[in-house]
Parts: sequence; structure tokens; C-alpha cells
Amino acid sequence: MAAITYLEAIRQGIWEEMERDPAVFCMGEDIGVYGGAFKVTEGFIHHFGPERVIDTPIAEGALVNAAFGAGLTGLRPVVEFQFIDFIVCAFNQITNMLAKSHYRWGAPAPVVLRGPCGGGVHGGPFHSQNPEMYFVHTPGMKVVAPGTAYDAKGLIKSAIRDNNPVLFLEHKFLYRRIKEELPADDYVVPLGKARVAREGRDVSVITYAAMLQVALEAAEALAREGIEPEVIDLRTLLPLDREAIADTVKKTNKVIVLHEDTRTAGIAGEIAAVINEDAFDWLDAPIVRIASLDTPVPFSPPMEEFFLPKAADVVREARRLKSY
Amino acid sequence: MKSPSHKKRAAPSSRGPSTPAAGAFGIVDCRLEKPDYRVVEVTRNGEFSYEARGDLSAPVPPIRESRYLTPKQHVEIYRWMLLNRRMEAALENLYKQGKVVGGVYFGLGQEGCSCASAYALDKDDWLAPMIRNQGSLLVRGFSPRDIMMQYMAKAGSPTKGRDASSHFGDIYERNVAAPTSMLGELIGVMAGVALGARYQGRNIACMTYIGDGGQSTGIFHESLNFAAVQKLGLVLIVENNLWGYSTPTERQFAIKDLAQRAIAYGIPGVIVDGTDACQVYDAAHEACERGRRGEGATLIEAKMMRMKGHAIHDAAQYVPRPLLEYWQKRDPIARLESYLVKVKKWLTAAENRALIEDVEKQLEADRNFAEASPMPVPEAAAGGVYCDGTCHEIRPKYGLKEIKAKAAAAKIKESQAAVHLK
Repeated sequence: MAAITYLEAIRQGIWEEMERDPAVFCMGEDIGVYGGAFKVTEGFIHHFGPERVIDTPIAEGALVNAAFGAGLTGLRPVVEFQFIDFIVCAFNQITNMLAKSHYRWGAPAPVVLRGPCGGGVHGGPFHSQNPEMYFVHTPGMKVVAPGTAYDAKGLIKSAIRDNNPVLFLEHKFLYRRIKEELPADDYVVPLGKARVAREGRDVSVITYAAMLQVALEAAEALAREGIEPEVIDLRTLLPLDREAIADTVKKTNKVIVLHEDTRTAGIAGEIAAVINEDAFDWLDAPIVRIASLDTPVPFSPPMEEFFLPKAADVVREARRLKSY
Repeated sequence: MKSPSHKKRAAPSSRGPSTPAAGAFGIVDCRLEKPDYRVVEVTRNGEFSYEARGDLSAPVPPIRESRYLTPKQHVEIYRWMLLNRRMEAALENLYKQGKVVGGVYFGLGQEGCSCASAYALDKDDWLAPMIRNQGSLLVRGFSPRDIMMQYMAKAGSPTKGRDASSHFGDIYERNVAAPTSMLGELIGVMAGVALGARYQGRNIACMTYIGDGGQSTGIFHESLNFAAVQKLGLVLIVENNLWGYSTPTERQFAIKDLAQRAIAYGIPGVIVDGTDACQVYDAAHEACERGRRGEGATLIEAKMMRMKGHAIHDAAQYVPRPLLEYWQKRDPIARLESYLVKVKKWLTAAENRALIEDVEKQLEADRNFAEASPMPVPEAAAGGVYCDGTCHEIRPKYGLKEIKAKAAAAKIKESQAAVHLK
């Protein structure tokens, strides 16, 4: 079997769910005849028809509320944001309408909100952002950020089958850069479960999405000098897999949290608090945060490269932690 | 829920204006009176206030004859309006007794708009109320005790104490979507419900409301445009009650009639006198039928005045006295009562008294029930954030056929196309 890309894995996941369940349909901007800005829904309209692949006006707020309304009738809408940066145009709808509805009045919101996030492709301040923490701070949401093609397919399927609003973050740097062979059968990856991406004993690198690749690259380099990092891929940011976090801390006693989101109030802070609550006695060193600068995402390539965390940062911090 | 008599609709007559055919949308004005005044900001001794300018001396117009309602249905709507008003009076008393948590919102002067519009809905249609549409919730099948317990934050309230006032719904039986406090949000939600029903092969009417204040929001425009583009059976009642909290319409929009917004979106617009339940019903009925025929959305502007403050704490002293008196004469319940008892004689004075007594009895029973019911246990605050799959079953409400197996197994082709950013 041929290896397929991260993007192709997401396409297949949505396609298969639409084949499996007639209640699943897609809404978004330019997703029909054009197939989406990144071609995730390319060809979908020809196969499923315009009733199930709906091109909408450029109105993210109305789009999200309409998806919620369709969900009230028992359907499972999959909403595409052309770039996830535009999700803030629907911030009120997501945080107040969708996320609170089950708690407030017992109405589930089985809506998937998906779109390309992240930098590294010179998209500038409005086509490169990582907005996860706005929504991780919103009770009622689930937030998913796959770092591999296997997980991308398994997680989009779980997200579509879930009865809650799920923000599905597709890292656009990974779309066509990583490939793997996927099982032919209908598999899912459960929401809320992290994964040990590389076993190790000396230091834990807890990360997700595109930074998983950075962590694995750093781990290779560190292994050559005798430091064996354990890499944890969170996969889901909300609900957070606290058990997996505590388990790795108890094993390695040293932690680096690595994310592409900006540093202040990024999920590293939350993870540090979780470790403090669940595994403080096992820590042998301060928890290290590696994240992007606290700035908007700069456009010019040398500046963007400076802005983003790199494997060298992980190597440097892991060496420093070794001395504790 | 309304009685089966609702189903018996008289054939439409040629009397009065009707919404125009597709492609020829203008504004239909159903009113028998077109008040001519404006509210202006004035300053006296360095203090600013509002003043009504124009002729406020016109006599109260007659009720416009309904083209659709039977005599019995008139009386039913009248009863809902009474129940709406007297329930709110009971809530005011409960508030004064310190039994209400937070504030109370009133639909005083707007009962005809809430009740007659919701009365036009069929069982499979949907409603999304705003804060003042407590009457619509009653028509849709909730009881006064539900609303009372919401205000009293009781464990037995529809939201089990998790939210207040009209912030509740029922997606299974009554087809009601709960509002949030943010204005204009329900328009897109109702468009989505209509979309979901159409996806399942049903055209339905999805009614919601917005005020003269709420129509200023961005989401109002996004959502109305969305509904119009998708030709969804949205019935949007724009309740122009002259005040957005304390702000007069002159500070809210620059057009003459909010029904004009309809033209901008390519849907029919209708103006009704919001204190004439018959006009409201007829316009809502036609808009619902249009939605059920799959012809798309309608905007109905109901002109009236909010006869109390924004909420119970607000004495509304910013409202010019002559304007208040003008609208007091146009009380929707007094107008309909006089129409039924004196003009049409469809209700005798004795029957009217019995009806009022019956409403009071119902309210007393509900008030007693609500007062006696317990507050939630503190721990009930936790949990319930997620639907874990055991609490609610998600299945297409209007029925969805299984996808037929394609002759040739559908194979997804790998995407090779150029993309925006690599």
C-alpha cells in the first residue's frame, strides 16, 4: 500500500465518514467546486452533491450558528475554516452558543470545526496562527491537534462521531510534508488520549502537532550523545490526558513542554500546573517551556524562523536538564 | 401547544395585502395606522433628555380582520396573551418578595406579537425566542411554572438551575432553541435548523425574533444574508419596540422602517402593527407557509413599544410621557378584548370573566408549585459539560434515508492540485 499524506488522511477520514453516515455533511467557503483552499474536499461535491458539500457566504459567525442549528436536527456538520485564523470571527458563536449549549439546556452540538493552522509556510500574521488556547479555555469544547497522518485520519473520524463541538486543528506545514502507510480498515483514534511517540528515560518532551516532528528530530540528535528523550504527542489538548503526562514525568523526572503556540498562557503553563498537581514529587528539575515568541507571527522567512521553536532549542534545553 | 382547531384555516380572501410572489419583493404595510413622530434628543438647562415630536393625537385604529383565524383561534390567542401578561405580573410580585434570582424581563405591550406569531407555527416548525418572548414559549407548550422556576433558579427548571429566564429550549418535543444573551445569534441557528430539515427532505418554518437594538449587530446581517442565499424558511420577526435598553431607534439605525432591511437581502418584508394580534398572525402565517413551501425567508417588522424598562430595575424614565400615553392606548390585550367582546361578540362578558379567572387559577397553581420546589444541590454545578453519548441520542429528527450503495464503489482520488500556501 502506498503511503499517503497528512492532508490525504484527513480527506479520506471525512470522505469515509460521509459514506458511512448520511447525517454527516460539509459546510464552508470555497469547499464545493473549488474543493477548498488546500483541497481537502476536492471532488467531494461531485460524489456527494451540493446538498452535502455546501459553499457558504464569507460569514464565519453565521456559518457556525447554522451548523449548530443543523446539529439540533440530528445532523453532524463538518465546518471548514479556510484558515483557522478566521475562527475568531466566530468566537462568540463557538464559545457561547456551541460550547455552552449542552450544559445550559441539554442540547448537544455535534459540530466539527476544522481548518489549517500553524506557521512555517510564510503565511504572515493572519494565515499562520495557533488559536487553540482560546478554546482550550472554553468548557464544553474538545480541541484536537494531530501530528501524524495516522492520527489525523483516526482523530477526524472520532471528532465527527463525537456528540460535542470539536475543534480539529490541521497543521498546514504537515499537510503534504509527512506521509505514512495507513491501515485499510475503518480505524479511529480516541479523543483525549496522548501517545508515546518515542520511548525514552532521561527527559520527557511533551508536544503536539507540527512540533512533534521537531521533537523527534531533536530526540534523534540527543540519542547520538547518549540522552534518551521520551516524546509524548498529546494529540488532544482538551480534554487533556493528565494520566499520560504524569506517567512520563514519573518515568523521566525531567520535562520540556514544546509548542508552536506563543509562550504566555500557552498550554505549557497548564501542563506545568498539571505536573505540579499530579507528579510534583517525581520532578528532579524545573519544567522547561519552549514556545514561539510572544509576538504576532512575522511574515519574512528569517523572522518567522527566529519566531518558531527549533530542534536546536530542544537539544540545548535537554542538555541543560541533564546536569540536574 | 395550541389546540387542533388551529388546523382549520379559513380560505384566504382578497381582503388586505398579501406577501408578493417570488422575484417581486417589496414592503407590504399591513397597518391601519401609520404614526408619524420621531424621538429627538433635547437639552434643557444643560441636561439631555428625549422628546417625542409629531402628532400623537390619533384615535386608536380598529383591529384588522384576520384572513385566516377562526373565532375560536382568536380567543385562544387572547388567552395566551393574558397568560403571558399575568404570568409576568406574578413574576414581578415574586421579585418584590425576594424570590427571584437576578432580574425579570417583561414583554408588556408586546404580548400580541409574541403569542400571535408563535401561534402560526406548526408542530414540526421551530421557534427561538428572545428575552421578551415568554408568551411565545407558552404557546409552544412550556408552562408558566417552567418560566417561574427559571427565574427562581430551581432544580426543577428546564435548565435545572443552570441558566435563567427564557434561556431554555427543547429539541425533541417542542422544537424550541434557547437564546444566548448575545443578540442576533438565533437567526443563523434557525437558518441552520431549516437547512437541517431541508437536508432531511422537509421544508419547515423557523421563527425567531430580533429587536430594533439587536438588528444593529453584525451577526444579524451575516445570518439574514445566509438564510436568504440558501432560501431557508426563516421567519424573522423584527420587534421594533422603540427602545434598545435606553437607546431610541434614532440612535440605532438611519432607515425609516426596519422592514426595508428585507429588500437589501432579497427577501419579502412586511410591516405590521405589533399591538394588533390579527395582523401579526396573518403576516406570520403567510411567512410560515412560504417557508414550508420552500420559497425562503421573510422579515416581518412589528411596530409597537416596550411598555416597561429593559428589566425590572429600569424605571424607563427616559421614555417621553406623551409617547408612553400614546402606546398605552394601544394596549394589545385591551384592543383584542374589545374586538372579541364588543365588536365581534365572539366572547361574552361572562365568558371573558371565566377565562380570566381560569388564567389566574392556572398561575396560582404554577406559582405555588414553583415556590415549593427545591433549589439545586450545589454539586449539581459540576458535570454535564459534555454529551457523553448516554445522555442524548443524536439522530436525524425528520428522518434521513440510508445512502444507497453506489454501483461503482466510490474511490477517493488523491488531491494533486495547487494550493494557497505550501
